[in-house]
Amino acid sequence: MVHPMNLFDTALRLAQSGLGNLAAYLAAHVLLCLLPAFFIAGALSALVPKEAVTRYLGRTAPKFISYPAAALGGFSLAVCSCTVLPLFAGIYRKGAGLGPAITFLFVGPAINILALSYTGVAIGMDIALARLVLSLLFGIGIGLLMALIFRRDDVAHDAGGADAFAGRATIERRTWLFLLILLAVLIAGTLQVELLTGGFASVTLSLPAAERFQAVLNQLVPFDATRGEEGVTVQGALLIGLLALIGLAAWRGLNNITEGFNRWTWVTLGLVALTLSLAAVRMTAGADGLTIALTGKALAVALGLVALGLLARQFEAYAIQEWLWETWRFVRQIFPLLIVGVFAVGVIRPLIRPEWIESLAGSNTLPGNAVGVLFGVFMYFPTLVEVPVARLFLDLGMHRGPLLAYLMADPELSLQSILITASIIGRRKAWTYVGWVALFSTLAGLLFGAWVDLY
Amino acid sequence: MALHIKILGGGCANCERLEKHAKAAVAQLGVEATFEKSGDYNEYAKYGLLATPGLVVNDRLLSGGKVPAVGQVVTLLTNVLAGE
Repeated sequence: MVHPMNLFDTALRLAQSGLGNLAAYLAAHVLLCLLPAFFIAGALSALVPKEAVTRYLGRTAPKFISYPAAALGGFSLAVCSCTVLPLFAGIYRKGAGLGPAITFLFVGPAINILALSYTGVAIGMDIALARLVLSLLFGIGIGLLMALIFRRDDVAHDAGGADAFAGRATIERRTWLFLLILLAVLIAGTLQVELLTGGFASVTLSLPAAERFQAVLNQLVPFDATRGEEGVTVQGALLIGLLALIGLAAWRGLNNITEGFNRWTWVTLGLVALTLSLAAVRMTAGADGLTIALTGKALAVALGLVALGLLARQFEAYAIQEWLWETWRFVRQIFPLLIVGVFAVGVIRPLIRPEWIESLAGSNTLPGNAVGVLFGVFMYFPTLVEVPVARLFLDLGMHRGPLLAYLMADPELSLQSILITASIIGRRKAWTYVGWVALFSTLAGLLFGAWVDLY
Repeated sequence: MALHIKILGGGCANCERLEKHAKAAVAQLGVEATFEKSGDYNEYAKYGLLATPGLVVNDRLLSGGKVPAVGQVVTLLTNVLAGE
C-alpha cells in the first residue's frame, strides 16, 4: 500500500521538477531568443505587406517562381494557423493551384522565425538548420508530387471571381533594414562564438548576499547535470523577475497600443531593452560577490537596440503601433500555453524511464523514425510546445534522427489540422498529403540521423 | 446613400479591432451604415481575400490582411460615398 506521505512527497517532487524546468527554460532559452523572435514575428506580420509575397502566387505565375515563393511565404507570413489556412484556401482555389498551396501549408508551421530560433537555442543549431533546409526542400517536393497526382482536378478548378493575386506591393527599404537589425539582435544574443561570449571588462560588486542567494536557488531547483537538467543562476532569477515585470507593464502598455503610446508603453519598452542587455552580460556569484562581465554580446545587443530606436522614428506612428500590437498579440496567444507546456514537460520528465525512449528510438532506424512521426501525428501540442517536448526526448536518449522526424511531423500533422485541410481540398487529397508528409518526415529523420552518425 | 459594411474573419482579435475602427469611422462621418460579420472561407474566396481580416463595403473588398487606422477607414468610406 502507498503511504499518503509518500504520495505527497512524490507530488511535491513532480511539482518541483515542473517549476525547475520552467525556471530553467525562462532564464536560459527564452529570453535572448524568444523575446527578439516575437518582435520579428510582429514586424513580419505588421510591416511586410502580404501582397509583396502573394503577387508571386497567382494563377499565371510560372512554377519556378510560385513554388519557391510559396516556401518563402511560409517562412514570412505564417506564424499562426489563422493566417495559413485562409491563404492556403486562396492559393488553392484562386491562385497558383494545389501544388504551391501544399508547399505553403507544409513550410509555414515548421520554419517560422519563432519555431526556428527556439529549436536552435533549446535543442541545437544543427537540428534547427536541418529543419529549415529539409522543410524547404520537402515542402516543394510534396507540393510537386500532389500537383502531379491530382493534375486533372487542378486544371478544372474555379477560374471565376475576383483576382485575389492582383495586388502589387513591395517591401520598403527601411522595413528591410529594420528586420535585419532585429535579426542581428536575435543572432548576437544567441550565437555562441568567442568574440561575442568573451568578456572584455568586468566589475565585481561586493554583494555577499549573491552567493547565499545562489545557494538558495540551487536548493529550490535542484538539478542533475548528467541528466541534462539545468539549474537557475542569480542572473536567471533576475531575468525571470524582469520578464514578469514586462508582462505586467505590457498588459497596460500594449493592450491598447493602437490607440497610441501611453506611459506604460515606454515602461514596457524600457524593460525589454534592459532585460535584453542584462541577459547579454555574464554574471557569476562567488565568494567575493557578484561579478559582472561585459561581453561582446552585450555591446552588440545594446548597439542594435539603439539603432532600432533611431530607425523606428522613420516610420509612421501607426506602423510602429501595429508592430507592437502584432508582437503583443503573438505573445498573448502563444506564451501562456508555452509556459503550461514547459511546466507539464518538467512534471512528466521524472516519470519516463530513459530505457523506454532508448529502446523505441535510441538509434537511427526505420522503426525509430516511424515512431517519432507517429507520435507527432497523434499528439497535438500548441505552437512551440513541440520544442520542449523534443528536448525532453533528447535528454532521455532519443537519437537526433528520429527527433528531427518528430519535429518535422508534429506541427504539420495533427488530427485537427488534417480535418480542416480536408474541408478545403477534400478528404482524398488531404489523406494523400498526410501520407506524403509521414513518408518524407521519416526520410528526413533517416537522412539527418545518418549524417549525425557519420560526423 | 447607405453603407453596408461586412467584416470578413472569424472571431480573431484583429477582426474585432477592424470592426471597432469601422464603427468609429462611421461615427466620425455621421452616416448610416449596417454591419455584418462573416467567417466563411467561401466568402473570402468570393471577394478574393487572402488573409483575414477583410473589410468589404457595399460588396467590394477595400482592405485585406491588415487593420487600417480609423483615419484610413474614413478615407476609404469617403471614397465609396463620393464614387456613388
